[in-house]
Amino acid sequence: MTARLEIRDPIHGFIHREPHEQDIIDTPVFQRLRRIKQLALATLVYPGAVHTRFDHSLGAFHVASKVAAKLLDSSTDTRLVRLAVLLHDIGHGPFSHVSEEILDKFAVRERLRLEPGRQVHEELTEKIILNHPDLARLLSPNEREHVVGLLNGQWGDTVLKSIISGPLDVDKQDYLLRDSYFCGVKYGVYDLDRLTENLRVHEDGEDRFLALSHDGVHVLEQFVLARYYMTTQVYRHRVRLISDEMIVRGISLGIVEDKIDWLRRLYTYDGSADFVTEYLAWNDERLTARILEQDTREGYAKELFRRLSERRLLKRVFFCRPSDFEDPEIRARIFQGGKEFLTALEAAVGRQLGFDPHLVAATRVKVKSVRAQAATTEGQVIVLTTNGPRYFDQESSLFKSIDEAIQEQFLEIYAPVEYKDDKEKKRRRREFYDDITGIIKGLANPQSKLFDTKDAGGNEA
Amino acid sequence: MRPSDFVLCLLDASRGSIQGRTLLQKRAYFVSVLMGEDESLGFTAHYYGPYSPMIDSAVTQLKSLGFIDEATVGFGTVSDEGFEVKRYDYRLTDDGRRIVEVVKKANQDEWQRISEILGRLEKAGNPNYVELSFAAKAFFVLRTKKKAMKREELIREAKSFDWKIPAASLERAVSLLEQVGLARSS
Repeated sequence: MTARLEIRDPIHGFIHREPHEQDIIDTPVFQRLRRIKQLALATLVYPGAVHTRFDHSLGAFHVASKVAAKLLDSSTDTRLVRLAVLLHDIGHGPFSHVSEEILDKFAVRERLRLEPGRQVHEELTEKIILNHPDLARLLSPNEREHVVGLLNGQWGDTVLKSIISGPLDVDKQDYLLRDSYFCGVKYGVYDLDRLTENLRVHEDGEDRFLALSHDGVHVLEQFVLARYYMTTQVYRHRVRLISDEMIVRGISLGIVEDKIDWLRRLYTYDGSADFVTEYLAWNDERLTARILEQDTREGYAKELFRRLSERRLLKRVFFCRPSDFEDPEIRARIFQGGKEFLTALEAAVGRQLGFDPHLVAATRVKVKSVRAQAATTEGQVIVLTTNGPRYFDQESSLFKSIDEAIQEQFLEIYAPVEYKDDKEKKRRRREFYDDITGIIKGLANPQSKLFDTKDAGGNEA
Repeated sequence: MRPSDFVLCLLDASRGSIQGRTLLQKRAYFVSVLMGEDESLGFTAHYYGPYSPMIDSAVTQLKSLGFIDEATVGFGTVSDEGFEVKRYDYRLTDDGRRIVEVVKKANQDEWQRISEILGRLEKAGNPNYVELSFAAKAFFVLRTKKKAMKREELIREAKSFDWKIPAASLERAVSLLEQVGLARSS
């Protein structure tokens, strides 16, 4: 008899897995996830946030196993769902999601023939699962194809896909609890057992979909609120936004301005197997150490990563909401103008306030309303009532009362400023606000040529 | 054209308001199909029919910028077909009308085209959101499967998108698609 394998996890207790799953966990390509932090440099705000993509992959896998045991009859479906969730983050690079933005920025999309909306990290994940020798040795070609199909939504029935990606997916079910625990906050806490217990497969003729029993409405309210609070308090925390921006800027400027060749190669995805091999050799610590090495030339990358490692962060020198500007044309330009508007703003702020424009970062941040958090692009949660299936926001008394789906959005500007004391900080921040408001009004003036028709960028949660 | 400009023009060409989220999405779908823009707006199969998260996100953004108003109308009843029991109505605000003028100036051809397509839909009997939804589902199935289909086959294929199209609703859907030039019966 084979001994049952188990790992002790701070969130879920014992995580059991089968021998073939353990073989995957033991591969170097999976073990590297131990060296990629789940929340990049959130440790600069929450020192406990040292958890990794490895822990989260195991946690999501555990939740998937519980959900599959409850909802799925087929052992093949169960096996594939467990494998897909175990491998869902296998393509993460240094600093997790932060790398994705840089990969997309430097990939030559036309040459790669990437479909519109297709992201480079998704392509990388698929390539790793389909072709990496560690996984090819352990999974059949058919299994690898199906795992990829489940992850990109191109294969599998609605229930299987909803377990992996959707408003009730096991990814969120794990990361809210895990991030909350490691950050030392309580915002992401909800009753996981109650949620899992109330998941149902609803069958209506040939239709099958993942739904929630009516008794699960309150725990879903808790789950949605957990998402909202984690977004506002952790994922969109000011210091986290600044540190992410510094990583992106450090790497981008390292490639474009400092002309660091190895950095350019690391982030210019060309679709080759060599690229994947090289990409998989990097993690948070190695990238930081390499940039800070003596033989890396002095420049923006080194300056920004040195600041990050010493926690000498850029500081927020400006913050505004749309309602701060009465003129709708100015509002439209600030929040809908293309990237060129932000670049021009950074240059003008740098020039007029005496900062190096490359170290001034203007960024738009969006946070979805709590009602909008109840759904994802994959749809809303269906609740099974005695009168038939209903949408969650029509069944929840709490969410029914939230009529306005207001999205919060704001513009923030960060710069390398130091203050002597609180008094100077207050004074200079007032000055920054007035000066930058003037700069924005000038740039956003209808006569300015910066009002283009390209889509506005922004961080959305 | 960015999604937010598209939504502003769509609302403007709909006399400044659209009643219901589903109607907005489906009008957006047909207009974008006839303009050849549906792919760039990322329409996918959703419970109510083809749905664009980009349009949804643009609406949310326009609301937060104060360019459109959203009003909720509750009916307190539930449709057998699972359609909205609560309706979200959208209207251009005064600031929104000002911005529309700027957008129209920069996108004159697109605005004309949107306006002309909405006129065609109006001539086809100004379909409500339920009719448009079934027509959109039928067209989405035909386009995705890339082949001519008999009515029964289309109903069957729709199920692969988790859509139910009642036979009676399909008749009206097909007629609507023919009237706007998106399908031909043989």
